[in-house]
Amino acid sequence: MQDDALIKQAQMGEAKAFEQLLQQQYDSLFKFAFHWCGNRTDAEDIAQQACIKLARGINQFRFESSFSTWLYRLVINCAKDWQKSHARYQTVDPEDYVIDTCHDEHLDQTVLIQQLFKHLESVSDGMKETALLVHAEGFTHRETAAILGVKESTISWRIHEIRKQLHSLFGQEKS
Amino acid sequence: MKDHHLDTLLTQNETPAVDENAKKRAINLAMAEFTQRQLENSANKPQGFQQRTRLISNFFVIGRRNLMLLLNNKRFYSGVATLSVAAIAIVIFQRTPLDTSKAVEQLHEEKTSYTLPSEDKSPIAQADKNTDAASTTAQTAIETRAQSATNNQAIKPSKESAKRTAESFAAISPAPQAEMRDRNLSKIMAPQEADSNQLYYKESRDRFEKINPNTIKQVNSEPVSTFSIDVDTAAYSFIRRQLNQGLLPQKDAVRVEEMINYFPYDYPLPDDKAQAFKPSITVLPSPWSEDKKLIHIGIKGYDITPTQQPRSNLVLLLDVSGSMDSTDKLPLVKQSMGLLLNSLQPEDTIAIVVYAGAAGAVLKPTPAKEKQTILNALNRLHAGGSTAGAQGIQLAYQLAEANFDKNAVNRIILATDGDFNVGINNDNELKGFIERKREQGIFLSVLGFGQGNYQDQLMQTLAQNGNGIAAYIDTLSEAQKILIDEATSTLFPIAKDVKIQVEFNPDTVAEYRLIGYETRQLNQEDFNNDAVDAGDIGAGHSVTAIYEITPKETAVRAIDPLRYQHQTNDTPEKAHSNEYGFLKIRYKHPTEHTSQLISQVIATTTVENSDALFATAVAAFGQLLTGSPYISQFSYDDIIQLAQANKGADTFGYRTEFIQLVRKAKIAAAL
Repeated sequence: MQDDALIKQAQMGEAKAFEQLLQQQYDSLFKFAFHWCGNRTDAEDIAQQACIKLARGINQFRFESSFSTWLYRLVINCAKDWQKSHARYQTVDPEDYVIDTCHDEHLDQTVLIQQLFKHLESVSDGMKETALLVHAEGFTHRETAAILGVKESTISWRIHEIRKQLHSLFGQEKS
Repeated sequence: MKDHHLDTLLTQNETPAVDENAKKRAINLAMAEFTQRQLENSANKPQGFQQRTRLISNFFVIGRRNLMLLLNNKRFYSGVATLSVAAIAIVIFQRTPLDTSKAVEQLHEEKTSYTLPSEDKSPIAQADKNTDAASTTAQTAIETRAQSATNNQAIKPSKESAKRTAESFAAISPAPQAEMRDRNLSKIMAPQEADSNQLYYKESRDRFEKINPNTIKQVNSEPVSTFSIDVDTAAYSFIRRQLNQGLLPQKDAVRVEEMINYFPYDYPLPDDKAQAFKPSITVLPSPWSEDKKLIHIGIKGYDITPTQQPRSNLVLLLDVSGSMDSTDKLPLVKQSMGLLLNSLQPEDTIAIVVYAGAAGAVLKPTPAKEKQTILNALNRLHAGGSTAGAQGIQLAYQLAEANFDKNAVNRIILATDGDFNVGINNDNELKGFIERKREQGIFLSVLGFGQGNYQDQLMQTLAQNGNGIAAYIDTLSEAQKILIDEATSTLFPIAKDVKIQVEFNPDTVAEYRLIGYETRQLNQEDFNNDAVDAGDIGAGHSVTAIYEITPKETAVRAIDPLRYQHQTNDTPEKAHSNEYGFLKIRYKHPTEHTSQLISQVIATTTVENSDALFATAVAAFGQLLTGSPYISQFSYDDIIQLAQANKGADTFGYRTEFIQLVRKAKIAAAL
């Protein structure tokens, strides 16, 4: 595979190869980061962080999994680190993000998604990345399990739980 | 809502297009990291080629690597700070939804009444002075925070592997706190910085000179304006840092000219190299005042190609006091100096002297081609302990003198967070010392790091006296800008004592106001006096000054005409009716003592120029931040619009970053 060759060259210290790799991967890193945090600035920070982390850790990739699996793991770590420092500033009452604005037709989807994520995270750990990988990135349960390093059954349970939560949140709503 | 709704929600929620500048920046940073890593790999392994085949390399040095990672992360948590300020505001606004002005006051009160439970970052620990170059390491100070100073060890050539380096690092940090800190760092979470108290305005010890913005002058009573150029950019970086934390900068920290001069502009270069630079003058309608015009004066020094670069004899004078023990300080200094190495030529020499903690030369003058030796010496530096570390600055100058080459650029680069315990404690004495050394041909540049103890004014003064620049480095990208992208201008002066004088034509101009340069004002008679010191300009540097004028033909005046003064004839003399004024620039070649004169007419023709318009946007931003009364009609949105429209190619993304900063200021100002 061409990608593998590129990765190997980068691991050997070929700057050109590494740059090409970054060029290829940045967009999807950014996209994932944007889904995660819901705003451009933070998404750019997360993606940038992921690039730097990649520069540090490219040699740790040992072709035991696919590169994209490995890369998702890396960007999820960056995103979680972002979230941790972000969480420190969360002075908002948990009550505040109860989704009560759904009647507003013009509700910004991004905000809604972020509220949803917060709610899911409060239910159980790992829900956010599971939801993103399965529902936004379109990975199967098995692939998601590989990326997150958990059992496939855990993913299935989480997806089930997400569904339940959505139902309880939106179930009573008309339409 | 059924579960497929989540799919729809997530996939329909369009991610915005990738910002090419952000992408470029991320890739550049990652490439820098990558290169640095390769360098270190080869520096740490004597058998340089073998390590390339190994897939796992020096991850033993994880602690240090993480420091770097955290550094790169800086922008990231400052963004977080901004968000959280917004979050607090939301809370407050929700509590008092009807009276927002009260909420603002309340926030202000909170900001000032809370002070950071300050961790004393410069403990007066008693550390032994350790000046014997042969003796090594580990002085344990009484304070728990004090760490050992193993700087002298760095003189020894290192032949050991990465593992050995890791071991010696472990040995250098004996205090348990240090280890804990390292562990914290490895989690990428901001250690002290992320403390939520950061939200409140800190009673910081950052010192700034008081600035009184220039007022409007009447051409009739004061037709001549004189000032010294200023190529420093420290104010911009400092403001950026504040804004990235969600705070508006204190007014005295805003020096408009330094903000304008932060950006590269594409002014035409002189045709003849005998002339150091060529002024380009643009007259524009003022975007914030209908009746006024802006006279935009830009000069750019000729750039030298690498082959023309004179040899450099550099001595790095690095602050390793306890207060430097913060991720945005010493580790960033090390990284920055590593970057600096890349812009040097093989035969250039570099020496390293540290002060505070333990004064001494940690690296004798070494050619830049011996990269590993230099990197090793840098990497072993450790912020430790105590107070005045003896003759740091004298030692630095001694080394520079020992290696003095009259055809080379001999320069000391001082890196500090504001702790000037360099060995001479009296500010004036220090200035005098630097001035005398300047006469001997050794220049001084000052690089500021960190926050909390930042001594802007002193840094400026020292750099001015030492014919160097003062720059503030808050991120690795800023280091890249100053030390790589603008290396030639940072290192090689092409003209010194550059002064600008403008004489306005009373027949065409009623009033004028110089935007910025408050701290650089000169008397009219200083212009022709070659003994008066003024700013210096490096290769490729550009400098911009903007005057706001009220042309005679407009009726609006800030100042009423005087009843008893003789009014100039209302029919202008034909000879000069198409001139707003006359520009004169005086400068000296770096090695000469008599000045040369460049002069040019300022014509009344108005032209569109995108560079000038962008500079205008920056000027507007600076004035808005200082709360200037002259620009009250202009909003942050107007600035964003103006800057956006004149962004140009923006190769390095600086202008894009500027627009982001204006947005941040807008949010911070709304709180």
